Order: sequence, then C-alpha cells, then structure tokens
Amino acid sequence: MSLDNILTNWSRYRKGAEEGGFHEYEHQWGMVVDLNKCIGCNACSVACYAENNLPVVGEKRCGKNQAMNWLRIERYWDEPDLEPYKATPTANVDAWIEGNPPAKKTELKPSMPSSYLPGLLELEGKSFTERVGFDGIKSEFQDFGASFLPMMCQQCHAATCEPVCPVAATYHTPDGLNAQVYNRCIGSRYCSNNCPYRLRYFNFWSYYEDAWPEPLHMQLNPDLSVRDKGVMEKCTFCIQRIRVAKDKAKMEDRKVIDGEFSTACVQTCPTGALVFGDMQDPDSHVSKLWSYHQVERGKTKQSKENKELRGYRILEGLNTDPSVLYLERVREV
Amino acid sequence: MSHGYLSLHGYLSLSGPVGSSGVAAPHYRGSRYFLMALAAMVLGFFLAMSSAWADGGTGVPNAVPPKGEYEGKNVEQPIEFPHNIHVDVNKINCMYCHTYARRSKVAGIPPTSKCMGCHLVIATDKPRIKKLTEYWEKKEPPRWKKVHDVPDFVHFTHEKHLKRFVFDNEGMSVDRVPEVCAFCHGEVKKMTVAHKVKPLNMGFCARCHEANKGPFDCWKCHK
Repeated sequence: MSLDNILTNWSRYRKGAEEGGFHEYEHQWGMVVDLNKCIGCNACSVACYAENNLPVVGEKRCGKNQAMNWLRIERYWDEPDLEPYKATPTANVDAWIEGNPPAKKTELKPSMPSSYLPGLLELEGKSFTERVGFDGIKSEFQDFGASFLPMMCQQCHAATCEPVCPVAATYHTPDGLNAQVYNRCIGSRYCSNNCPYRLRYFNFWSYYEDAWPEPLHMQLNPDLSVRDKGVMEKCTFCIQRIRVAKDKAKMEDRKVIDGEFSTACVQTCPTGALVFGDMQDPDSHVSKLWSYHQVERGKTKQSKENKELRGYRILEGLNTDPSVLYLERVREV
Repeated sequence: MSHGYLSLHGYLSLSGPVGSSGVAAPHYRGSRYFLMALAAMVLGFFLAMSSAWADGGTGVPNAVPPKGEYEGKNVEQPIEFPHNIHVDVNKINCMYCHTYARRSKVAGIPPTSKCMGCHLVIATDKPRIKKLTEYWEKKEPPRWKKVHDVPDFVHFTHEKHLKRFVFDNEGMSVDRVPEVCAFCHGEVKKMTVAHKVKPLNMGFCARCHEANKGPFDCWKCHK
C-alpha cells in the first residue's frame, strides 16, 4: 500500500460496509468454523505452529500469557457445573513471576476455560498431566460438557486494530485481509490492546533463540520470516499459501479455483470443521455456507428468516465485520 | 547507455511517414523543399527521441526500467565464469542456463551436467574448463556463491517478472531477454563473474513498481 493510498483512502478503510467502506477487493478470503464438528483436538493449532514458524515459548512464558498461538482452542464448560474459580489466577501469576510458587494450597474446582487461565499449568505441585487425568489419575475437570471454540484472527473488514496503528504496519489488503507488516511494526502494541478478540501476539523476547535449537531450525518455513522481539504478529490466513496459489493462477492466466489450496489449519482438521475460501466467488464452499446460514457481511445484526440456522459471527455487534463464520454447536437437552 | 542508442536506432528506422520523407530528401531540388525536408527530419528525430525517452531509454517496450546504481563487492567464485563469452560473444540466451527463471521463484544455477553438455567438446584445453572437468569427474558441484541476494523477508518471483516483461509483453522477443534481466542484474553480458550493480532494496523495487504499475500491496512482497 502506498502512502498516497493510505492518505486518500484512510477513512474508507476504517468504515464498515454500511457506511460505504473500502470494498473493491480482488478476493475476500473467509472461513467457516463448524463447532458441531470440532472435537477440540488442537491439530489446527499444531499445524499453525508448524506452518507459521511459531515459537514454542515454554511453560513459564506461557503462564505469563505470552504463548504465540495464532490459532488457539478456547475451552468452555457447561453452565450447570460452572463454579467460580476460587483461586485468583492473577495472584498466582504474580507469585510465579517472582519465582515463588503459591504457598497456600488453593482449592481447585472444575471450571473456566483453561486456555485463558495463566498459572494453571502447574499448581499444588501437580503437573499438567496429573491434573488432566491421564493414567487413571482422577481429573479435576468434568468428564463431559466441554465445548471448544477455535479462535484465529477474524480478519475484520472494519478492523479495530488498523486505525490505531501509528505507522500503518497493519492495514487492509486488496484481498480483504488484515495484514501485519513486520518490517514496519514498531511494537507500540496499540493494535493488540484494541483487538476485542485478543488475537494479536507480541514478541516480548527473541523467542527463536530457544524455540528451535539445532537441528530444529531446519523445520522453519522459508516462505515466512522468523519474527524477532518487538513486533506484533497474528494469523495471516496463511498468506504464503495464498500468494503461491495466486501466483500460480496468474501464470496460468486463470482465477484461483476454490479448494485449490487451503490454510494449514483447514488442511489439518481431521473432522473437516474448518472451511476456507474466496467469498467473492459465489460458487465457493464458504460463500455457499454463508448464504445458507443467512449471515451477511457488513451487518451488526443478522436478520435471519429461519431462527434455527446456526451461523453467527463473534462480537459482530461491535461492527468489526469479521470474515469468520461460526456455526453454533447443537446440544442435546 | 548503449540501450538508449539501440532503441533510438530502432525507432528511426521504423518511424513511418515522417522518417521516410526525411530519407527522401535528396530527391528534392529547391532550397525550400530542402528546408522542409530538413524540418521533417528534425521533427522525426525529436519524435523518435521522445518515444525512446518514454520507454525510459531501453529497447524493452512497455517498460520503465528501475533506476539506481550500486557498487557491489566482487564475489570470488570457484571458477571465474565468463558471462561475457557466453552471452556477448556466443549469444546464448540467459534462460538456457538459468532455466528456472521462467517457471519458478528463483532463476537457478545450472547443474554441472549442463556445462558439460557443451564443454565435453568445446574449449576443453582452457584452464577454466579443465577445472570444471575436474569437478565433473569428482562428481562434485562447484560451490557457486550467491551474488544477488534479497533479504529473507522478501518474496520475489522471477517467473512473474519475466511474464510481465517478456512473454506477455507485446513487441518483445525472447532472444532479447538480457535487456530485461539487466533491469536488476546490470549488464551481465559485459561481466565475467556477475557482481551486484543494482541496489535491490525496497526503494529500487518500489520505484519500478510505481513506474510500471506493478502491485503496490505490502503483502505482495513482504512476508
């Protein structure tokens, strides 16, 4: 994006479709997540780690909420058994940072989405495996009633992260994606603070120093840079794959075919819960799912004729206009 | 630049009615006709010049070559490969050896077998070829060093640039491909071992993309 373009179209980039935002796109990459099919196996997250050179930051940094999981599976438990989490997680983390594990024994109750709870990895001297209940040890968590929510960057069209960036390191591409340019990022972290989904991750350290000791650095994906400390990063909808597919299509003088390529998470999902494609192509799998579930872009509230339809977008009331459609999980009553 | 001269030449010989009236000048007798013919010649010259300038001074049609100079270090290669003999004297197309340029991101270094395809019989007594034959017999590739290296965060494809400037470019022929390669690699046909003469930095790329209406999205190149 040239500076001219930024200056001329800045206000248009910031508006949603209702206000006549910038919508002259070449493609509109979108995704559908069927929560009915999601079994919470985390394969998508692992695939994302492998594809996008994401560092494994280690237990301690993970406890400080520094995990670089571009795609995380949030876990929620069924309502009736939900009890407030007695131990205050923040206190635990503070103690941990100072190197003092909590002395007082905290009573643990099955509750809360664990992926969001720092300090849950090692408590009461028990390892994660012990608490989760492998090897016949009794679990602290419920036997059933977990629901999973895969959260990747929602690629909002009226993204809240974009207008706050002081150096335009995050901007909207002609593909309808929310881009992050690492070379331009100065690490002000405004974008992360402004993201309602908390899906931007900051490199507080040079994680690569520990993440890929030799010979593990051989596994790095050369189509993607390894980020150093001080830059923000987030899910890119596997832009390197999009780029290859578009280059190939261009060389063959054709359009990108639906299903020709997909992102790493979509490719890996064993149950086919994730679908990826171009929403400008009315025949693509994604746009068919969107129209079937009567969810439309550029709306803050969907007017569905059929209320039984499962499609919804997360926090769409904020007018972020996300590109990811979630299909609600149907539970037996 | 020699390119400018070449293109000027091409335009003069092809410049249609204006140019031909200029050529026809000696047939006229009177000074009035002579003056008119002279004016036509001058006009034709300027027209040709202006169209040559519109092309940025090269013979490549529909292209404005990137501007920028750079003083690259001489890279010592295992064999001092003479590009000038291959390209300038023997007129071998760049893409005969750098065969991947038209179908992939990288231009590629030819395998030793490709060198030996010719040099089993050609110039076998020369010291450089003897060295090459040694490598060939040892079944060991010469460790060529990379000269034109863009940073790891840059996505660059040779194939798309060749498509734009050579294969999809009207009025451009494949045997003139060195002129396109010279945009970023300089006049390699005048060099022995290639060395970097263009900056290959972001400004260099961006100026060319702006002039030639290339994509201007950050994520097109930054990865």
